[in-house]
Amino acid sequence: MPPVRARILVLAGLLVLAALALSGVAFAEDGGFAPAGPDSPNGERIETVYWFVMGFAVLIFLIVEVALVLFIVRYRNRGRARDVEGPQIRGHLNLELAWTGVPVLILIAIAIFTFYQLPGIKDVPSAGAAGSQLRVDVEGRQYYWQFTYPNGVIAIDTLRLPVQRPARLEVSSPGEDVIHSWWIPALGGKIDAIPGHPNHTWYEPEKAGTYIGQCAEFCGIQHTVMTAKVEAVPADEFARWLSAEAQAQEAGTSNLGKQEFDGVCAKCHGLDGKGGIGTNIASSAIIQDRESLETIVRQGRNLMPPVGADWSDRQMDALFSYLQKRFGSGG
Amino acid sequence: MAVNVESYPARVPWTRGRFASWITTTDHKRIGILYIATSLFFFVAGGILALLMRAQLATPNESFITKDSYNELFTMHGTTMVFLVVVPILAGFGNYLVPLMIGARDVAFPRLNALSYWLFLLGGVVLYGSWFAAGGAPKAGWTSYVPLSEQTPGNGQDLWILSLHILSIASLIGAINFLVTIWRMRTAGMTRMRMPLFVWSIEAYSALLVLVLPALSAGLTLLLLDRQVGTHFFIPDEGGSALLWQHVFWFFGHPEVYVMILPAMGIISEVIPVFARKPVFGYTAIALATAGIAVISLFVWAHHMFATGIPIGLQAFFMISTMFVAIPTGVKIFNWLATTWRGNLILDTPMLYALGFIAVFTLGGLSGIFLAVFPFDWQVTDTYYVVAHLHYVLFGGSIFGIFAGLYYWWPKMFGRVLDEKIGKWQFWLTFIGFNITFFPQHMLGLMGMPRRIYTYDHGGLWEAYNLASSIGSGIMGLGILLFFVNVIVTRRRGERASNDPWLADTLEWYATSPPPPENFAAPVPYVTSPRPLRDIRRRLKEMRHL
Repeated sequence: MPPVRARILVLAGLLVLAALALSGVAFAEDGGFAPAGPDSPNGERIETVYWFVMGFAVLIFLIVEVALVLFIVRYRNRGRARDVEGPQIRGHLNLELAWTGVPVLILIAIAIFTFYQLPGIKDVPSAGAAGSQLRVDVEGRQYYWQFTYPNGVIAIDTLRLPVQRPARLEVSSPGEDVIHSWWIPALGGKIDAIPGHPNHTWYEPEKAGTYIGQCAEFCGIQHTVMTAKVEAVPADEFARWLSAEAQAQEAGTSNLGKQEFDGVCAKCHGLDGKGGIGTNIASSAIIQDRESLETIVRQGRNLMPPVGADWSDRQMDALFSYLQKRFGSGG
Repeated sequence: MAVNVESYPARVPWTRGRFASWITTTDHKRIGILYIATSLFFFVAGGILALLMRAQLATPNESFITKDSYNELFTMHGTTMVFLVVVPILAGFGNYLVPLMIGARDVAFPRLNALSYWLFLLGGVVLYGSWFAAGGAPKAGWTSYVPLSEQTPGNGQDLWILSLHILSIASLIGAINFLVTIWRMRTAGMTRMRMPLFVWSIEAYSALLVLVLPALSAGLTLLLLDRQVGTHFFIPDEGGSALLWQHVFWFFGHPEVYVMILPAMGIISEVIPVFARKPVFGYTAIALATAGIAVISLFVWAHHMFATGIPIGLQAFFMISTMFVAIPTGVKIFNWLATTWRGNLILDTPMLYALGFIAVFTLGGLSGIFLAVFPFDWQVTDTYYVVAHLHYVLFGGSIFGIFAGLYYWWPKMFGRVLDEKIGKWQFWLTFIGFNITFFPQHMLGLMGMPRRIYTYDHGGLWEAYNLASSIGSGIMGLGILLFFVNVIVTRRRGERASNDPWLADTLEWYATSPPPPENFAAPVPYVTSPRPLRDIRRRLKEMRHL
């Protein structure tokens, strides 16, 4: 064998081995060849549609690429002169009709299958195995997620949901804010949180666990840190937590203040309050004064958006008392 | 009365200099070269921005470039590549080639043509000037979604608006010029069904620009008014709509995608037959598919908005209209494949890029089908899956087509053939680097990585795929660098090109390399087929035999 060809073969062999090794690792880790999860019925049906389309896509991809490589190898120049022409074929009506018509049929099949699966993806079930539908308001704000439960309980960035009970999420963004997109990859598709244009989506987590996600629509300087988490817990545990949390928030003993600081303030001012893209607030006089704090949180200042324009007094109190504990002179 | 038709109006002396003659030129060929050179300059600039982003994303929690600087990078990268690279470089090819291909002396309005180029340059200068504006460069993404783009402080965003306004006018003037040229100035015998397929594609490119640029201009004006005068077109609290911008932008923006790919497909349709030594398979089908894609592309815009919660009926409509685009696109792919069948495939660099185009564009087209299926789109829109898809069609499609065109027509433009050895190295580095960069991004998107984030906290496969992607971008960068090395080497000691070095089919090769200012020294023969040059070669051969 001529040395050049041998070298090419060795190189090709190494490449194939490397590719195999990589794909082995990738498959072992569920390497991102299908949507993450899914652990919710809507997400599962999206994955079913994905694999349905994938079947045709792989087929078409193989037909094109195999034909391409075969033709290149088979009909390559091989020292023929440039002016040697191939057969002067200008077209073939039936063949062309075939590769116009067959794709039409494939696309019709994809459309039909999608519409068949669609109700199971978009329609929110009224009840699940562990109980009836739960409604939660999800608000995207620069740069945090605020969740409001039917009994008034508020949570920031971490959404606690019951397992096997459908949760209808009313997704929106306040009028003065920007567009965000709510997405927990392993639970289902995303839906935009748009000022003045409320949307909804739903999940029904199949098993307990923590599902992470983050804002998917570019929303400004801290878009990257606008993360979210869904904690799916058994339905009875959820019910107990929800009523206990309601009492705690009523009494001002919940950790709402900490959630607000971590999710709303610390993203710019740092978890230690020493500043990041925001200023150093740990030693600021503003956080020592309930009124100044309320003014800046409701109205923003310079680059700081009005992060809590419509916060309730209870939310304001929770933040103020947490800041007192954390950074106050007594702390 | 005797009129001396031989002499052109005398040129004013100061316009004759080496530099001044380029400033004052109205020659479509020189304007074409100015377009291409300027676009290549911005291509390097936009590419450097991309490499900086990939450097930042190579490993988790890196702090090389973060927050606002990163946001400026992706905004400027996207705006540059769309408005200052792909659209104008295709205008450059159209400028240089359309009059030559249809046997005309120049475009219909040479002075407007010059105006169009200088406005394009001005638009580019304004955009890059924004780095020095108060508050820095624009940072709301190349799509500048409201309300974010209304709240961005500083003047970068205003300069972005101004720049796009200028570029829209430049493109609009150029597009009208192309249309009139193609409709009114074809040489004797060149009927519509004998036009080169590249000319068909420039016609579709121009028609789309004329139809959709006014929508962009209107949207930009509303945005500017909201920012500067205090109108409330896009502010929901004041009775405006935050979604309106997306409709207006994508009504322009999606046809713009086809503006960027159709002429690249036109280039492929010219290159493949010449290097397969066969006529293109199904000329009529490809020509009609070009027109068909252009028409359908006007009805697909809201597939960019599936996650905005538009009514399901509308989502279904836009899913079906989007899937329709796949039909004429598939027709083209299969016709190109059939053209190579039983040919004498000469694997010179233009052909490598053309075949590479088929290989990667197919994947980009297929991921487009996935994205059209709106429930799946809810899962992957605004993720790296979309980044992968758009680069497979815009880089693997448009840019590969552009490189095929550069290597193919360089001898005509400059009288020298680009070096084949460097060309092949460039192709393989670009092709391999491209796939290493963008293929893993499909998986990143499926795993949950959104676009436009400056860092991530995940190890494992997230890190592995991101690192691979960054390494690939470096390989691709080397490939692009080789192109410029090739240009310098060729300029010094490149092989001189004859009028028709590739034994091509179309009329530009009837002119000398490079052509004289008036394009054709001899009258252009009557055109009797879509392959006039082959007809001429055949007639010459027959005459020699007699």
